[in-house]
Amino acid sequence: MSVIDILFRVDSICKKYEKYDVEKQGSQNASSDDSFARLYGWFESQIEAVLHKSEMVAMETNRAAMVAMNAEVRRTKARLMDEVPKLQKLAQKRVKGLSMEELEVRKDLVLALPERIQAIPDGTAAKQAGVWEASTSHKNIKFDTDGQFDDDFFQKSEESNQFRQEYEMRKIKQDQGLDIISEGLDTLKNLAADMNEELDRQVPLIDEIDTKVDRATTELKNTNVRLKESIFKIRSSRNFCLDIILLCIILGIASYLYDILK
Amino acid sequence: MESAAVLAKEVRNWKELSEFSRHASELYTECGRSQPASDALAKGARALEDFAPEEAIQLYTDACDALEEDGKEQMAFDLYRAATSVYIKLEKYADAATFLLRLALAADKCNATHSQCKAYLSAIIVHLYAHDFQQAEKCYNDCCQVEAFLNSDQNRAASRLLSAYTEGDVEEIKRAAQSSIVSNLDHVIVKLARKLPTGDVSAFKMDTKDQEEPLDEDDLT
Repeated sequence: MSVIDILFRVDSICKKYEKYDVEKQGSQNASSDDSFARLYGWFESQIEAVLHKSEMVAMETNRAAMVAMNAEVRRTKARLMDEVPKLQKLAQKRVKGLSMEELEVRKDLVLALPERIQAIPDGTAAKQAGVWEASTSHKNIKFDTDGQFDDDFFQKSEESNQFRQEYEMRKIKQDQGLDIISEGLDTLKNLAADMNEELDRQVPLIDEIDTKVDRATTELKNTNVRLKESIFKIRSSRNFCLDIILLCIILGIASYLYDILK
Repeated sequence: MESAAVLAKEVRNWKELSEFSRHASELYTECGRSQPASDALAKGARALEDFAPEEAIQLYTDACDALEEDGKEQMAFDLYRAATSVYIKLEKYADAATFLLRLALAADKCNATHSQCKAYLSAIIVHLYAHDFQQAEKCYNDCCQVEAFLNSDQNRAASRLLSAYTEGDVEEIKRAAQSSIVSNLDHVIVKLARKLPTGDVSAFKMDTKDQEEPLDEDDLT
């Protein structure tokens, strides 16, 4: 037979003889009839999960993960503690098919539960009794630490001393730098303000220059137009060409005389 | 006329120089040109600074008046500053301070707040240099009435200086005087500031204490 066949056979045999399985009967009965047993079963499963988690914490090396898991463990524990009163109430109730002895047993179980829950390690168990007695009034405030408040936790180690010194040195250097920058900025501000005022002073002067130059340009324009007109008049008549010709003749005569005299 | 003044300068004939300058400025004013008028006076004054400072100051004042009449206070700043430097050379500190306040007034009219605050601070320093702490304080209180001065860096520098004086702390005075704000003032004033404190500073501490007692008596009665 192959493995699969074996598995199937085992399953079918189990199903056949289920009614002889005490545990399963017990849990089935609990799930259908007894709310106490149901709740108790749920409790058991929660406690197992929490125990498993705390074991994982013990194996964990990453401190942040440790802290997170411890916090979760504590949360679950707190929830369980809250649910315990409910369980106690249920334990008082009488259920059909249950003998007096079993009732007593249930009560004892319920009583034992809180202790079991508290016993689950969550990283603060070691110091809880001693250190936090003073702060019993602040029950709602919980410090999310690992609880390793040994004596030299808060003592200055060498490293922290060095860090502090370095920090102070850097602060002093920054202050010096900022002083220099502020002086430079003062000078800049002064220069800028002076420039501002100087420009304000120049504005009316430039306005005056503007008007004067405008006047001068208009005058020039007028003069140019008139000059153009007069030249045009001269050019239109023949006098212009005649003038040039006569000028050349005179220059020729002058050079001739100059040559002769030389 | 101006050329005549220049020639007179060459010859070092001071009286004539000032006369020529005045005449030139009068002629300019008649033409309605105030700027050249004040320029003529200023040139004369500059030439006379070394030799007849009183006359120079007179010319400067006239020049400033001419400009102010015409509403051109902006141009007067330089003239005021030159006049104050002459006064300081003559060691007439009260007059110098008065001139600085006139400068501040002119600056106020033109809304030149920076110049105005610098003028106030310079006036306070001049008073302190003259060893006249009461005057300096009065000056400071007057200046605090002016809003523009109240909100300026110069105000802070002035209050620092005065508080250093009241405490009689020489180191603090020196530090306040070397600060960059004071170094931005006119160089003549900066020279004065560097020389602060003059005389005995602890005397000022006594003065302020004496002043307080009569006030207390008045309050009680």
